[in-house]
Amino acid sequence: MFSLLSESIKIAISSIISNKTRSLLTGLSIIIGISTVTLMGTLISGLDRGFDRSMDFLGKDVLSISRWEWFGDLEWWEVRNRPRIKIDYIDKIKERSKYAEAVAPVLQRGASLSRGDLGARSQIFGTTPDYLKTTKYGVAEGRFFTKGEDRSGARVALLGHDVAENLFPNQDPIGKYFKIDGIRFKALGVMEKQGKFLGLFSFDTQVIIPSGTSQRLFSKRGFLRISVKVPEDKISESKDEIYGIMRQIRGLKPKEKDDFAVNQTEAFESTYNQIKFAIGGVGIFITVLSLVVGGIGIMNIMFVSVKERTKEIGVRKAIGATRNMILTQFLMEAIMICVIGGVIGLSFAAVLSLIINQFFPSTMPIWLAITSISLSVFVGVIAGVVPSYRAAGLDPIDALRYE
Amino acid sequence: MSGLISLKKIKRHYDVGGEKVRALDGVDLTINQNEYISIMGPSGSGKSTLMNMIGCLDTPTEGTYEFEGELVHEMDDDQLASIRNRKIGFVFQTFNLLPKATALRNVEVPLIYSNISKSKRLKMASDSLVSVGLEDRLDHKPNELSGGQRQRVAIARALVNNPSIILADEPTGNLDSKSGIEIMKILHELYTNGNTIILVTHEEDIAMHAKRIITIFDGKIKEDKINKKMTKAL
Repeated sequence: MFSLLSESIKIAISSIISNKTRSLLTGLSIIIGISTVTLMGTLISGLDRGFDRSMDFLGKDVLSISRWEWFGDLEWWEVRNRPRIKIDYIDKIKERSKYAEAVAPVLQRGASLSRGDLGARSQIFGTTPDYLKTTKYGVAEGRFFTKGEDRSGARVALLGHDVAENLFPNQDPIGKYFKIDGIRFKALGVMEKQGKFLGLFSFDTQVIIPSGTSQRLFSKRGFLRISVKVPEDKISESKDEIYGIMRQIRGLKPKEKDDFAVNQTEAFESTYNQIKFAIGGVGIFITVLSLVVGGIGIMNIMFVSVKERTKEIGVRKAIGATRNMILTQFLMEAIMICVIGGVIGLSFAAVLSLIINQFFPSTMPIWLAITSISLSVFVGVIAGVVPSYRAAGLDPIDALRYE
Repeated sequence: MSGLISLKKIKRHYDVGGEKVRALDGVDLTINQNEYISIMGPSGSGKSTLMNMIGCLDTPTEGTYEFEGELVHEMDDDQLASIRNRKIGFVFQTFNLLPKATALRNVEVPLIYSNISKSKRLKMASDSLVSVGLEDRLDHKPNELSGGQRQRVAIARALVNNPSIILADEPTGNLDSKSGIEIMKILHELYTNGNTIILVTHEEDIAMHAKRIITIFDGKIKEDKINKKMTKAL
């Protein structure tokens, strides 16, 4: 049986080689289908990994109070008309909330950094030492600033990983000075490398300074959000509580709508899942379509092949090939066209995913490669079975007489 | 002489456009080991049907066919394929070689179907080609061979499984006279070496090579005689 199978594969390959153009054209749909499904899988799995990592940036158990919803459908002017979030909410939240484990302000603004000839654009985060409790990433080298430094408005800063590399190439930045918008700051430490958030922007280009310093030196009217760390198993209770506290602070009547937002990574997740399903849906649609078209093409070519080789089938039967042997031979040919198409599609997708990876997270897991090759075999079997069955059922006398 | 093949009251009817065609209409025939038989007859006589019947490509509508004790008339497709593979060597008028395969691979094919190991297969196939004088043509494809050489490859293929009978259907029909003589010589050699040969032809001078000549007409055996003036191809 084994020699028969390897023989069938040999016959199939030689038949494909002698009909290169025809086989390639026939396999084209399979190539497209397999490329699509693989690429889609690669993208989704890359997105998943990137997304999970990115969600760690924010932390599932961190609520973010700000004027705008992350994925809201409000008009921009409605958001603009909302009252600002104020820094003194922090103490009120700390006072009233029983869930909040840490509450930290984040005053964010763009600024330019310089040190001698070196310069960079950066996002400045003005915050308190509680900030460390609201993020998964800690200090890699040096130390965070203290409450005292925050209160006194000390001109000290922690650098994002990339900032440290840009401003202090091949040097230890700790204890050294640099300038934020022309004002001298001392580097206390470097934050852990975080990578890109969804492959889009990076916290590694941030600079963290005390919120007190930020308020004193820069405009108080910067963009402020408040991060609240809550217990992981009490997220929804905590969220309800924070809503209540914020409404109290704002003095909203029961009928009035919220004029603030409490955001959470969950919002990202549901939007992300929508995107994922959209990519998956489109990918599956194209895949199914091209595999169906490809399958029909292969079925057609197999019918032609059986017709062309009727005499050969007759000869093979006369010298002792059984139905199953003929069936195997033609089935194997259909499968080989599909598998070769599948391998080409897979390699194409692999190359493309490497290119995409330069801009966007994408990885090709091994299960995906195995799935797409199995899918090719499946299409080959489905497309090949009817023509092969017809070949196997030919009457040897008629087949021998066929010209 | 031991009975190799025994056909009794063989009938083969076809329905062609609602009309019954009696291709074979009661044929009784016994063939013994190491016979050299010609089956003759004009076209439409039932000669081809009889050949297909003997070659186990077709089964009778009525009657019994025994081949070395095996009941061919009761066999299904796969059993027929197996008996063709083991016991019958076909030689066709149009050679019917696989065009993309070398001589060696062509001869190897029946052995693949009888599930013989690769190394044994190559040895048997090349031995068979050597026996028909093609030892220096093993790797040639059919289009690189002359007609006579192609037919010799076909004979090698027919012989490779050491069959009980060689069934040759107009083996010289597509050959020039010189190559034709060559082929008839090989068949004669096979006969003298103890093989059983059944030659199907409509040419009388080819038929004269056989020792026993059977003439078929209208689906019946008209004449079955010993050929006293057997031509010896030399």
